[in-house]
Amino acid sequence: MTPRADVAITGVGVVTAAVIGDSAALGAFLGAPSPPSGPALSPGAVATLIDPTEARRLSRVCQLTIAAARLALRESRLDPAAGLGLVIGTEFGDLASTHDFADGFLARGPAGLSALLFPNTVMNTMVATTAIAVGAREMALTLNAPTVAGELAVARGAAAVASGRVPAVLAGGVDELDSVVERELAHLGLGGERRGDGAAFVVLESREAARARGATVLGEVSAAAWRALPARPWGVGRMRRSRAIDAALRAAGARPADVSWVYASASGDEPRDRWEADVLGAALGTRAPVSSLGRLLARHAGLGALRVAAAAWTARSGLLPIVNGTTRLERVPPRRGLVHGLARGGAHVALVVDAA
Amino acid sequence: MSRVVVTGLGAASPFGAGIVAYWKGLSGGVCAIRELTLIDTQSFRCRIGAEVSGPLAGSARRTRADRLAIGAAAEALADAGLGARDRRSAAVVVGAVGGGMLEAEAWYWHGAGDPRPASLRGVLPCAQAEALASRFRIGGPRHTVVTACSSGAVALSEAAALIADGVVDVALAGGVDSITRICFMGFNALKLLDPTPCRPFDRERRGMSIGEGAGFVVLESEAHARGRHARVYATLAGYGTTTDAYHVTAPDPDGDGMVRAMRAALGHAGAAPHEVQYANAHGTGTPQNDRIEARALARVFGEGGLLVSSSKSMIGHTMAAAGSLEAIATVLALEHGVVPPTASLTTPDPDVPFDCVPHASRPAALTCAISNSFGFGGQNVTLLFRRGVA
Repeated sequence: MTPRADVAITGVGVVTAAVIGDSAALGAFLGAPSPPSGPALSPGAVATLIDPTEARRLSRVCQLTIAAARLALRESRLDPAAGLGLVIGTEFGDLASTHDFADGFLARGPAGLSALLFPNTVMNTMVATTAIAVGAREMALTLNAPTVAGELAVARGAAAVASGRVPAVLAGGVDELDSVVERELAHLGLGGERRGDGAAFVVLESREAARARGATVLGEVSAAAWRALPARPWGVGRMRRSRAIDAALRAAGARPADVSWVYASASGDEPRDRWEADVLGAALGTRAPVSSLGRLLARHAGLGALRVAAAAWTARSGLLPIVNGTTRLERVPPRRGLVHGLARGGAHVALVVDAA
Repeated sequence: MSRVVVTGLGAASPFGAGIVAYWKGLSGGVCAIRELTLIDTQSFRCRIGAEVSGPLAGSARRTRADRLAIGAAAEALADAGLGARDRRSAAVVVGAVGGGMLEAEAWYWHGAGDPRPASLRGVLPCAQAEALASRFRIGGPRHTVVTACSSGAVALSEAAALIADGVVDVALAGGVDSITRICFMGFNALKLLDPTPCRPFDRERRGMSIGEGAGFVVLESEAHARGRHARVYATLAGYGTTTDAYHVTAPDPDGDGMVRAMRAALGHAGAAPHEVQYANAHGTGTPQNDRIEARALARVFGEGGLLVSSSKSMIGHTMAAAGSLEAIATVLALEHGVVPPTASLTTPDPDVPFDCVPHASRPAALTCAISNSFGFGGQNVTLLFRRGVA
């Protein structure tokens, strides 16, 4: 049985085309949500977030990761030396460096191979560089998953804190736009959704530890669960009963009626979005309003963690951004909501988020 | 917390398909590192590696990594005797790095033009977990971990955590990687490959040899295994995962992260250093890694405090599969009471103060052993196994 988590969120860091900053910046954006001018962060925006040495040395996706991780850590005022883990979800990793590495060989043979680029072809390069940048020396994981990598990272991080394996975790996601990916997803018939790039992180620690050090608790992950529904890889299934939602609600000691609102992963992949709507409907009924930030912000792995941070904001403010053609704010009962992600292939994640 | 036991083993190794072939090769001290055939190695200084030979499981439309994973996972599930009901709620945790990159490279190398192979769908590391869940109808938690060369071992520790926390009773866990051009070329670019078969812990060692394969285990809570009268190979009594936070490719020269991982595994298992009789080392064969690992082992266990050997001397560095294949080697060493050798070790390095079991395997009444795995980015994992249910 999935155990209760009771994990505090004490820091938020978001680096996306629509919003850059900590929980206050995210709250300001969510309070007056508007679509970004484009799906990708401008090069100038990225350059302002890290020091020039890092800008020269690190790939763009690593820069995004480090910038968002530092923002979250700064807000939490947590000392990494006390024991900090790192869990990063990503769908495509540092694919740009992988292209560059391969292109070097294709252009010049073995002489064109870059020893500096090679480590970036391994998907854990963002973890490796961020661990160094922020001094995270405990467990460090890169989780690769379609669609739900970011929320999966937060769920896994919350579980690690809840079990006492690590005192605190920086958990989140990152991805960047890649022209080859866009072209191939379109070829696979998966080009319908809006894809963006960026990174988002939350700092997770036990409620007691956060209170003991006087940290501001922005919200709580009361329970987190991840399971798989039957579906072929890249396919959309038919089963509606979500064992992840069941397990998360059970662990939180909550009934479906206790969930006042939902942040879903819908982002314009219509078959998958319909499946998720069916799953949510079967688990919770149609009473709880659903926010689909992916339709506004475009989807990337960072969005999973961003939605967890947004859920903490909704739990505090009682406001939920509804994206449905137009974007508006709806007043909802605060306190308890659900963050949900469902991927083609059936992986799905559910997190119960409460006010502090 | 539930105790976690190993009830099923499966391998697709450079010795061929299956655990029997794997153990026969390891215990026989056979080196499976040969001329590479899967990729073009012309114009490279090193042209060898350890490929999985023989027919692969699954459809030829799948990626090579998918097929390696399916073969090893099918064996582990059958070995454990898991029924459909257990599989429905089981977790699947896969350590992967290259995913279906071998096939993607072949396509990209030719200008990324049409026709696109169907196997391009399997290019990401998560493809193998998706394929296993779909093929074997595994419906519990599913995740893919990428911690570079320690991925396979991290998959086991992640699965064990899910069981210990009570999330699931059963998990299929392991690592998989096929040889890829990018991996081969990258290690060439870093000048880390030995043009002859690697010689871990040898004074004359010159680097590593790449390999490929898949290793999967079935992990269960002890209560669940007892309830269905399953055969128990070993107990995964402890594990430790740490990060150096030092350098993207080089390990911390003091081996602090490695030491912390080994001590965390001991602490988690409630084991004293003197209880551990054997370490299946990460042992890549690079001058720096072997020296630092030996130093870290000595700090934790004392010089000469245990037997040490490297499976990579026989199967090369199988990347994401290394951690799980070597964990299986450790379990089999406990099961058979035999320490597999460091096959190519002829001139022991005086900086390695351990008996590294040169050339031939050695009988030893083992009850407790560790398997070390260290990856790029300073991603360290130590798994601690006890024989049987302990």
